[in-house]
Amino acid sequence: MNPLFFRKTIIAATGLFLCVFLIVHLSANCILLLPEDIARDLYNSYSTTLRESPLIKIIAYVLYASIILHAFYALLVTLRNRKAKPQKYVVNHSNENSTWTSQNMGLIGTIILLFIIVHLANFWARIKLGMGEEVRLDDMGNKDVYEVTYNLFQNIYFVIFYTLISIPLALHLHHGLKSAFKTLGFYHKKGLKFLAKVSLIYAIIMGVGFGIIPFIVYFK
Amino acid sequence: MTLDSKIPEGKLEDKWRNYQVKSQLINPANKKKLNIIIVGSGLSGAGAASTLAELGYDVKCFCYQDSARRAHSVAAQGGINAAKNYQHDGDSVYRMFYDTLKGGDFRSREANTYRLAELSAPLIDHFVQQGVPFAREYGGTLVNRSFGGVQVQRTFYARGQTGQQLLLAAYSQLYKMVRAKKVEMFPRSEMLDLVVIDGKAKGIIVRDLVTGKLKRFAADAVVLATGGYSRVFRLSTLAIGCNGSALWKAHKKGALFGAPSFTQIHPTALPQSSEAQSKLTLMSESLRNDGRIWVPKQKGDSRKANDIPEEERDYYLERRYPSFGNLAPRDIASRAAKERIDAGFGVGRLKNAVYLDFRHAIEKFGLETIKDRYGNLFTMYKKITGIDAYKEPMQISPAAHFSMGGLWVDYELMTTIPGLYAVGECNFSDHGANRLGANSLLQASVDGYFILPNTINNYLASEIKTDHPTTDHLEFEKAEKETKAHIERILAINGTKTVDHFHRKLGKVMWQECAMSRNKSGLEKAITQIKTIRDQFWSDVKVTGHDKEMNTELEKALRLADFIELGILMCTDALEREESCGAHFREEYQTEDGEAVRVDKDYSYVSAWEYDNGDFKLHKETLEFEFVKPSVRSYK
Amino acid sequence: MRVTFKIWRQEGPDDKGVIRAYEVDGLSEDMSFLEALDHLNELLVLKNEKVVAFEYDCREGICGQCGVFINGRAHGPHDNITTCQLHMRSFNDGDTIIVEPWRAASFPVIKDLVVDRSSLDRIIEHGAFISAKTGTAPEANAIPIPKDVSDRAMDAAACIGCGACVATCKNSSAALFTSAKINHLNTLPQGKAEEHKRVAEMTFQMEIEGFGSCTFTGACEVECPEGISIINIAEMNARVVKSKLLR
Repeated sequence: MNPLFFRKTIIAATGLFLCVFLIVHLSANCILLLPEDIARDLYNSYSTTLRESPLIKIIAYVLYASIILHAFYALLVTLRNRKAKPQKYVVNHSNENSTWTSQNMGLIGTIILLFIIVHLANFWARIKLGMGEEVRLDDMGNKDVYEVTYNLFQNIYFVIFYTLISIPLALHLHHGLKSAFKTLGFYHKKGLKFLAKVSLIYAIIMGVGFGIIPFIVYFK
Repeated sequence: MTLDSKIPEGKLEDKWRNYQVKSQLINPANKKKLNIIIVGSGLSGAGAASTLAELGYDVKCFCYQDSARRAHSVAAQGGINAAKNYQHDGDSVYRMFYDTLKGGDFRSREANTYRLAELSAPLIDHFVQQGVPFAREYGGTLVNRSFGGVQVQRTFYARGQTGQQLLLAAYSQLYKMVRAKKVEMFPRSEMLDLVVIDGKAKGIIVRDLVTGKLKRFAADAVVLATGGYSRVFRLSTLAIGCNGSALWKAHKKGALFGAPSFTQIHPTALPQSSEAQSKLTLMSESLRNDGRIWVPKQKGDSRKANDIPEEERDYYLERRYPSFGNLAPRDIASRAAKERIDAGFGVGRLKNAVYLDFRHAIEKFGLETIKDRYGNLFTMYKKITGIDAYKEPMQISPAAHFSMGGLWVDYELMTTIPGLYAVGECNFSDHGANRLGANSLLQASVDGYFILPNTINNYLASEIKTDHPTTDHLEFEKAEKETKAHIERILAINGTKTVDHFHRKLGKVMWQECAMSRNKSGLEKAITQIKTIRDQFWSDVKVTGHDKEMNTELEKALRLADFIELGILMCTDALEREESCGAHFREEYQTEDGEAVRVDKDYSYVSAWEYDNGDFKLHKETLEFEFVKPSVRSYK
Repeated sequence: MRVTFKIWRQEGPDDKGVIRAYEVDGLSEDMSFLEALDHLNELLVLKNEKVVAFEYDCREGICGQCGVFINGRAHGPHDNITTCQLHMRSFNDGDTIIVEPWRAASFPVIKDLVVDRSSLDRIIEHGAFISAKTGTAPEANAIPIPKDVSDRAMDAAACIGCGACVATCKNSSAALFTSAKINHLNTLPQGKAEEHKRVAEMTFQMEIEGFGSCTFTGACEVECPEGISIINIAEMNARVVKSKLLR
């Protein structure tokens, strides 16, 4: 397939998969909002289930691959696109014909990628790879992921960092979701209008959801 | 010199078939060996280039624009006529032929005009096949509308962008053949001279507009498809780059110029608003289908249009021409507007316009229907003037538009130089003294797609046997040298006035004396004035930069130098024709109520002018009307 | 009125180019932007300087030859118009107006404000036609085409090929241009025979010419003089997939 389209198709498809993943991720995070005694057990057993289910394992690999492919092809596309416009305008009022987000998806994506690395170091590296301080077991014998989360968000800097990152995340999702459908060839006029609204609502929910949970945990 | 129009024998409806039956053929293997140069990439040029290439000829196509898709056919808005009789309103090839002949005030050949009407129907089939999105009914059939000078609905259209859609179809066919390596396309290339060897057209000298280099191209035949020359008036509806240079160079090399003074003034353009204006934008004639033209009954009325009550409006076209009303032919509508404006009833800031009102149409058909029919024209009007024409009437004014005149061609579209053809607007063939609306796209297309590919073989068949020309021939050498000297001469003047200064002067004289109405003393004065402008140009023009680079100022100067000479010929022709016919209106020849008086017994001929060392010699092709009796053209 | 033009001057393709300022007086609000540049050029001639090379032809918004970047926008400050339709009434007395050529790797500068857009011609060359020879057409009404289908084809066919979409796109993508042509021809029954070949070849040429890929910023449809919808690109994407699967 034509690389112009192939790369974008991969980015869109992986992007959509990541969007679905985020819904699951946020739903699980909502457990953290429950009273501590219920939340700890539920959260820990949920994460144990995730780690041990073979189906989830496959999905996890798809997830890693999606992130890597999404970022890799986005990099290729960005490099090619820069080459296509070697000389910039002295004055460019692109804000008058398009949104800042749509003009800066690469930059926003890079910030999110950096966040993902930190995020993985905070959780995945400790829990899954056993790096750093060993994770305690809870009363039911599950790894106490709740504790890890709770402790992390006692640090105000991490809380602020996690909250701030929800802004570029929401922006990225808003533009990304509606564009992904167009990239994949969905061209129904009314459908696209509807999708634009869905993308906005989705982005707000994701942004607000991921943004306030660290705060709530902090004040818990 | 005798002018042989080569009209085939037989009944009117058999002539084209008789011609085709007798015309010589060339076998496919030989076609490959024959080169054809086509200058211009508009509907006629691109149509001819792609069709000739399909037939197997080796074609080179040139245009001065950056792409073939820019050619000015693109700007035709209203539509294209065809005798399909889809509306079942009594149309036929004969009626269309008659309308065109009458519209042209009986100053064109019957056989040519009949062929135009005859080939119109297959042309629509052809464009539909090429993917032109013509307007359609809900049931999927093609829609028609009516146009000036006609009482049937035979105009096919694609919104207000018919010319664009037809041109893009031709352009895509052209590039189909570019891809097939049968056409070589040379954009940004301007023909500066014609090369004639042993009396036959054998090549051209071209200036590469990017590098400034002069290049030689040889061929077995040269086709000019360079469009109209109404930019001689400077302010016109034409593209700024449109020029008469290729025609003029061919004329100077021996091609006779037919009816140069027959230029059409379009009634519905936007009025001039300032001295600096470079162009008058056309508003399609199709607007006259639903729009009503009026001026206030009171002289110098300064009220806003919407404040003038119905009974104080003078719908002068409906008043003077009750049976055709707002759909009177262009020359008549333009002259009527000029009459009202000159009499002091003009509207607008400079009192140089008339109203075109859609209020009644909107009341009758609803806003949506009018939007669907003319939406893009209303949008365009708003972009340019800032006025919403759905709410108040448009202001329109006559503007120089089409040139019926052009190189004299015979039935085969060959000029008086063997091997040199002229197709489309740049020839004088089918429209006589006035062209009907929506016949221009038709003529350009029919010439390029259908006629030339059937007639050029008749000449080329004999050229197979002769030697193919090469560019090191002495005549090429000579022509290039002359062109170079011409350019150097302009650059060396280094005077004090810009090219546009002289073009404005020329335009003013031409508009004043050789446009909508003409008279003897005015024309005589104009000729003297233009000669003075010519002398001043050649002693005082200033062009900066040099000739070995892209130099837009030099391009303009070269074109203007030819326009000035052409202007003299136009006035000479208008002076010679002592009658009023079509767009040519001589004030001395009119009835008491201001209608044109044609003088058939003395002027039923096509004037064909020979260039004679700065002077012009008249030849006449007498028009024989075998099948139709010329009548007094009345639209009352 | 009086304005200061800051214009990109570049002698040739290999020259570096620089912005130069020109103060111009004596302009009127009724002048079009291009007429103001004409006026500037006349002044330059009289000052014995080379004129600014810029493109135009029809000056009524249909030929697509004109097009420059004016104050940070393709075709100037308004949406959906061409440069020739822009009038000086859109500026104020004393304004500085920055004029730059289209910028894209596929549109190399020839001189000053003139760029080479032949890459768009080459996209057309690669399949934007119906391969039927002159003289082979069936009767025009033989294939009925519903009004909405014909209207959709016309919407896409309205493209004037000015290149503003490429110029304004941060990726210099020619997706709007290419999709408009593909959708015009592929929507009509006449274009069906070659639909998949056309999509594959035209999009491939778009890649070869060095245009970027579409990231749906939406700038193109705002600057497009014909207001061609960006949904055309989505439709082209669908056609690309379809052509892969069905060809």
